[in-house]
Amino acid sequence: MAYNLNLISNGASILGRTKRYIIWFFLLNLALAWFGASAFKVHAARIMDHSLYADKVLHGMDLEVVGELLNRPELGGAEGCVASATHFALLFFVLTLIFLPGVLQGYASDHRLPRDAFFRACGRNVWRFFRLMIFFLIIGGIVSGILFGLQAGLGKVLDKSQSNGAVPFAANLVCLLVIFLIMTGIRAWFDLAETDIVLSDQNASRKSLSFAWRMMRGHRVRLVWAYAVITLLATIVLAVGVVLWNRIVPPASVAGAFIVSQLMLLFWLTARFWQRAAAVSFYLAQTAGREAESAPVVPVLAA
Amino acid sequence: MSRFHVLTVLSLVALGATSQAQPAPAVVAPALSIPSTVSAINSPTPMSQRVVWYQIAAKYDPKTHTLEGDETLTYHNLTGQPLDTFPFHLYLNGFQPKADWISETKRDGTRDVDFKKWEKSYYGADEIKTFEVVGQGDLTSQLQFIQPDDDNKEDHTVVQAKLKTPIPPDGYVQFKIKFHDQFPETLERTGWKRDFLLAGQWFPKVGVWWHGGWNCHQFHGSTEFFADFGMYDVKITVPQNEVVGASGIRVDEVNNADGTRTTTYHGEDIHDFAWTASPHYRIMDDTYQGTMGPIKLRIMMQPANWSQAQRHDDILRNTLDRFEKWYGPYPYKTLTMVDPEPGSAAEGMEYPTFITGGTNWFVPKGIKLPELVVEHEFGHQYWYGMVATNEFEDAWMDEGINSYSEVKVLDSVFGPRTSVFNLAGATMGDGELQFGSYAPVADLDPIARNGWEYVDFNSYAGITYGKTAIVLLTLENIIGEDTMQRAMHTYFMRYRFTHPTKDDFLKTLEEVSGKNLRWYFDQAFYGTQVLDFRVMKAESTPEDWYKDSFNEDKAKKGETEYLTDVIVQNRETFLMPVDVAIKFDNGETVREHWDGQTRWMRYVYHKKAKVESVEIDPDHKILFDRNNFNNSYTVEPNGTATSKLTNYWRFIQQFFAQMLTWWLV
Repeated sequence: MAYNLNLISNGASILGRTKRYIIWFFLLNLALAWFGASAFKVHAARIMDHSLYADKVLHGMDLEVVGELLNRPELGGAEGCVASATHFALLFFVLTLIFLPGVLQGYASDHRLPRDAFFRACGRNVWRFFRLMIFFLIIGGIVSGILFGLQAGLGKVLDKSQSNGAVPFAANLVCLLVIFLIMTGIRAWFDLAETDIVLSDQNASRKSLSFAWRMMRGHRVRLVWAYAVITLLATIVLAVGVVLWNRIVPPASVAGAFIVSQLMLLFWLTARFWQRAAAVSFYLAQTAGREAESAPVVPVLAA
Repeated sequence: MSRFHVLTVLSLVALGATSQAQPAPAVVAPALSIPSTVSAINSPTPMSQRVVWYQIAAKYDPKTHTLEGDETLTYHNLTGQPLDTFPFHLYLNGFQPKADWISETKRDGTRDVDFKKWEKSYYGADEIKTFEVVGQGDLTSQLQFIQPDDDNKEDHTVVQAKLKTPIPPDGYVQFKIKFHDQFPETLERTGWKRDFLLAGQWFPKVGVWWHGGWNCHQFHGSTEFFADFGMYDVKITVPQNEVVGASGIRVDEVNNADGTRTTTYHGEDIHDFAWTASPHYRIMDDTYQGTMGPIKLRIMMQPANWSQAQRHDDILRNTLDRFEKWYGPYPYKTLTMVDPEPGSAAEGMEYPTFITGGTNWFVPKGIKLPELVVEHEFGHQYWYGMVATNEFEDAWMDEGINSYSEVKVLDSVFGPRTSVFNLAGATMGDGELQFGSYAPVADLDPIARNGWEYVDFNSYAGITYGKTAIVLLTLENIIGEDTMQRAMHTYFMRYRFTHPTKDDFLKTLEEVSGKNLRWYFDQAFYGTQVLDFRVMKAESTPEDWYKDSFNEDKAKKGETEYLTDVIVQNRETFLMPVDVAIKFDNGETVREHWDGQTRWMRYVYHKKAKVESVEIDPDHKILFDRNNFNNSYTVEPNGTATSKLTNYWRFIQQFFAQMLTWWLV
């Protein structure tokens, strides 16, 4: 268990000394969503800002009014808002793909990584990360496809035999948990591969993948456990945030809702970076051990 | 012996022979009748004119989902003319690939299945094996499928028998029918799912003689049913492990040697009979003291939903209370409420004295959907069960009137803004739900339309349920709540146990209100006009704007004269009078009344105050305005609501972006 704690706490200490990366990504996430929501805001303002009917969502949340708003042709339809939101989400994803190598380089560095080194790491590895992402889509897609297929099959069997609606629900939850743990394991594997690409300057993504796979031998459970604990912490913070948002923030307080929601998102983002930092910490520990093992023993000649 | 004497003797002998040759008097069959028993109702006398008496013995095989039925139907000809043809509904034949029900549902949609692919389990059938008319013999070979509504020869949901001898007015006829049912895997709230069965529309049912002819429509994708009042005596035989519930009162239960059990039910003054069987039901029995006598409430729950039994009981009791107070008494001795099998399409259905609810194993108290379904289906005991309108031709008269009373009941129990949803700060009232179903289909179909003629299922649902409800709620706001309640009470008491038409209902509203409401009915019920009021302009200009010396920024509040120009507009074609409230920044509110007959109306004021806001229909009497946002206008914008919703949307986007990145990078 001490090893587990090191994985999580080492990751946390890496985060602590590289807070700026999280702040930048958070601000990027917020800025892109701000732009992504601007179409909605402009159209909704035209409909609501001069209407007394809007009070029903200000001092409460009347779902019918929200539904009526979303169906107004002036809003441009749900498709328009979703399209712009999707584009900005994809942009955030692409920018993360581009800048993540620099982050991993910074995690591995024991000093503050200079800006030029950061961007060099980004530029050198963006195409490698893209290829690795394709591998993830293939491998993750096949594995998740099989797992979700099995889940659907189990659902059909239970539907034929079960009158108690709680049983299929519980079975689905268990299946989702299993799928989550397996996919988390695959994600951890790919995080290690990403780390190897950056720190070994490895051009062949396949080699990094097989290296990472071998590295995980004997440690898969611990890695998945560390990732799962971090996710669980983030989920708890999210749940607490939702409760606070609902119970404590006054319905008409936009500032209060904004602060609570952004804190929740900041912690959620931090959790993912925490997992990456834990992966880097594991990689460094494993490769340091190997370097020590492989260093030649110089015989000491008798005087 | 003289010749005279011989002739006399021969004559006498001939007379005697003639007398002896006369045929023996015919054996007279016992006279047919329909009993006037009142054992299933809290009334000393029958409540309806009993036209039919069904005596059915049914044996169900849960392995094959089939039923063998033996039906004796006694029919009393009250039409005033001789009848020699009798059409019968065979509703289960609607669940065949080329029948109207399936083909229309495939085309227009339905609430349950999307029919992307035909499954064998969807097949249903109601096959008449033998058809005998007592006193006229076996007419099985004479039966003919007919299609009164279209030319689809593949639709076998109506079969007609032509008798050899007409039945005279006020006469009786008795049919003896042996039939075989194949139940589908629940479609349109009838059928099986796992080891559960909901048997609705499961026996050959005679049509209704109405307005001078037979009214016996084919079974369409969006229509329901229409039948005469009478009596039912039904014996249901199922395996002994099944728990059975049905319309009417249970009179007998016998365990048979072959491992089955036969339960006998008796119903009076009802026009349909449904039943259910499942090994899993848990039963809650309760008694409600109705105004005519005690009513036994039998609540049959799925075991996983047992924790909600009390919720179901509570809403039944609350609904009974309101209906008896507002509309009239519930006369039956029983009401059975069934919580159907999960995943079956048997939720939310009504039969006389027998309803199905719809819930799930986990439904927080803030979500009132289980209560909504139970209330609605109970409401059908009045609007359909006792006031037995033609559900084919006037679907709105049961669904819509029932949706109106559903809003009234739920609002009175749970509050008008929270009667459907009240969880985590989010709310929704039932009236709003009705509006939400109406708004997307507002201009597609009139309310008064045959049920199978709506453009699609969404329009059928949105117009018959939603539009009717909010049109009636708006009418209530026009004529007053007390007046509307008196009108509904009068309508129920006058037309219960009959088959009223739409004119009967609308004339009752006019009669009780004492108002001419034809202008409203023509638009709201018979037309597709839509209403959309809008504040087009609200502006105050200083009277001295043209003077060089005038500086509005330095003008003192309350001392500067303003010309205020307000224009309100009717953007659509529904014409109706409405109030307009104009509020000024000195606290004054002016209320105008616009007759709504013109496209727009201008109001001009000269005051030492500027206009602050304009609101059309400030009392919120009109519930079917297509766009509620433009009914009011505030001169100063308030972007807080927009910012609040944008914040939610932004949060969702950020979370989605992070989740995408979480897994892919």
